[in-house]
Amino acid sequence: MNSGASTRRWLNPLLAALLVAGVQTAALGYMIESRASILRSGRDVLLKTVPVDPRDLLRGDYVILSYDISRLQPELFKGGLPTQSGEVMLYVRLAKQPDGFWTATEASFQPLPVTGDSVVLRSLPFSYYPSPSPLPLTVDYGIERFYVPEGEGRTLEEARNAEALSVNIRVDGKGRAQIREIAVNGSPVYEEPLY
Amino acid sequence: MYRARLERDFKHWIDKGLLQEDAARAMLAEYDGRESTFRAGRVLLMLAALLLSASILLLVAANWEELPRLARVAGIVALIWGFHFAAAWLIQNGRTTFAAAALVLGAAAFGGGIALIGQMYHLSGDAADAALLWFVGACLSALAFRSAAMATAAGGLAWFYFGTMLTENGFSTASDWHLWSVPVLAVIVVLLVRFTEAGRARHLAYLLVLSWLGWLYLDSPSLAFAVGLAVLGLAAFLAATLPGSPVRQLALEAGSAPAFYSFALALLGFTGLQYEAVGVTTEVATGTGTLLVALLGIALAGAQNGAVRYLGYIAFAGELLYLAFETLGSMLGTSGFFLISGLVVACIAWLVIRIEGHMARTRQAEVSQ
Repeated sequence: MNSGASTRRWLNPLLAALLVAGVQTAALGYMIESRASILRSGRDVLLKTVPVDPRDLLRGDYVILSYDISRLQPELFKGGLPTQSGEVMLYVRLAKQPDGFWTATEASFQPLPVTGDSVVLRSLPFSYYPSPSPLPLTVDYGIERFYVPEGEGRTLEEARNAEALSVNIRVDGKGRAQIREIAVNGSPVYEEPLY
Repeated sequence: MYRARLERDFKHWIDKGLLQEDAARAMLAEYDGRESTFRAGRVLLMLAALLLSASILLLVAANWEELPRLARVAGIVALIWGFHFAAAWLIQNGRTTFAAAALVLGAAAFGGGIALIGQMYHLSGDAADAALLWFVGACLSALAFRSAAMATAAGGLAWFYFGTMLTENGFSTASDWHLWSVPVLAVIVVLLVRFTEAGRARHLAYLLVLSWLGWLYLDSPSLAFAVGLAVLGLAAFLAATLPGSPVRQLALEAGSAPAFYSFALALLGFTGLQYEAVGVTTEVATGTGTLLVALLGIALAGAQNGAVRYLGYIAFAGELLYLAFETLGSMLGTSGFFLISGLVVACIAWLVIRIEGHMARTRQAEVSQ
């Protein structure tokens, strides 16, 4: 299978090692930095979580987070709905409410301009199937998973199901979001450093 | 294994006076001298590498809570660099087997790094995307080191990607982009296998395409798609095996794979057709078609191609049993189940004995000519 004849080599092994390890390290670095840049430059948004069904499905060592903005009612949609099924992204305008939490005020399948104090959040791509009557849509934003040390997931899940969990996210100019802080009853329990 | 069988057969032929003893010894020596031959040590080494890879991945899963995050990232990056440079050093010292093991460990460390970072930084992105990134890293390693072991690993990771796509994204909700990337991955694996001379690892890619087509059909069953698969498979099979076909010689030179996989594709299409068939008449018609295709495969390619022959037997037996139960089974009840099974298996046994006997006689006739 692996004949070591030097005629088969086309790249010096040391160069090959440098190339492979270098590119793989760069890929890992990119993963870390693309998140850190959102946390560094994004705008703060405080979100309310909602209970997740089924309630007691312990998902290994992460907690599934669901927000009130994860489910969007049909009356929020501005602009046309896609007429054909396919892969789409949803842009959701968030506005701050008097109680400090942000809620969705507008949703669109086309990019929304950032106006005033509002923030535009972009969903992850998902498959859309047109339906005769408008239905609520459930979307993900890439902030639905929070890994915790073993055994600590329960406490957070209980708080989430008691609707006592709030999540502070940062949203960058492109609408991508990352979790910055998780609080139970308003007091922070997990604060995320940049790196 | 093949080595032991070869030695036994040589002994048999020497006793019969068909083969000179020194010729047999020279052949065995040549076989032992080949790089690709099975060696217990080599296999154990690869197993050790896989076990160590698993330990890296589990270490990541355990999440080393005591260490700060950046220290954990630095640790996994150090593993990546360490394994790849160890591989380079081993290659330069001619220890290619150990080098292959080090490359596999390096790829495992990269996969562990992806998982670790996704977990530590709460990146809830797509699991299939993470699998794809891992696959790309493994491909780069296979290419740069021209490593057959890494080409095989890339084939395995292409399967892992396909599996992740199906389990994480749900059976039918995978995005279009992910859906159509599977055959692209298979093509990449085949190219890598050719480049690194990884030989048998190419079957990973062929089987991936076949499973992917099967899954596409299950995802959205339609008569047209089943017909398409059946026609495409049958056409490719006939092109590869029909005497007088312009590409037959080319297919034969490529070994048993072209005939086998086109035959398997045709049978996949006919399985789909069977699924589409409603009503006894249509069912029996499609079933007869499937039986004919199985026999056609055995007749055209069964003599040279053991894989086609056995797939043909299996398809024939399966189809016959299916037809028997669909048509007679409901009338006869449980005891009838065994009656039909017994009769059908007896018919198939008779057929197989006839075919195998015919083929053995043909081969003997060819030799004595």
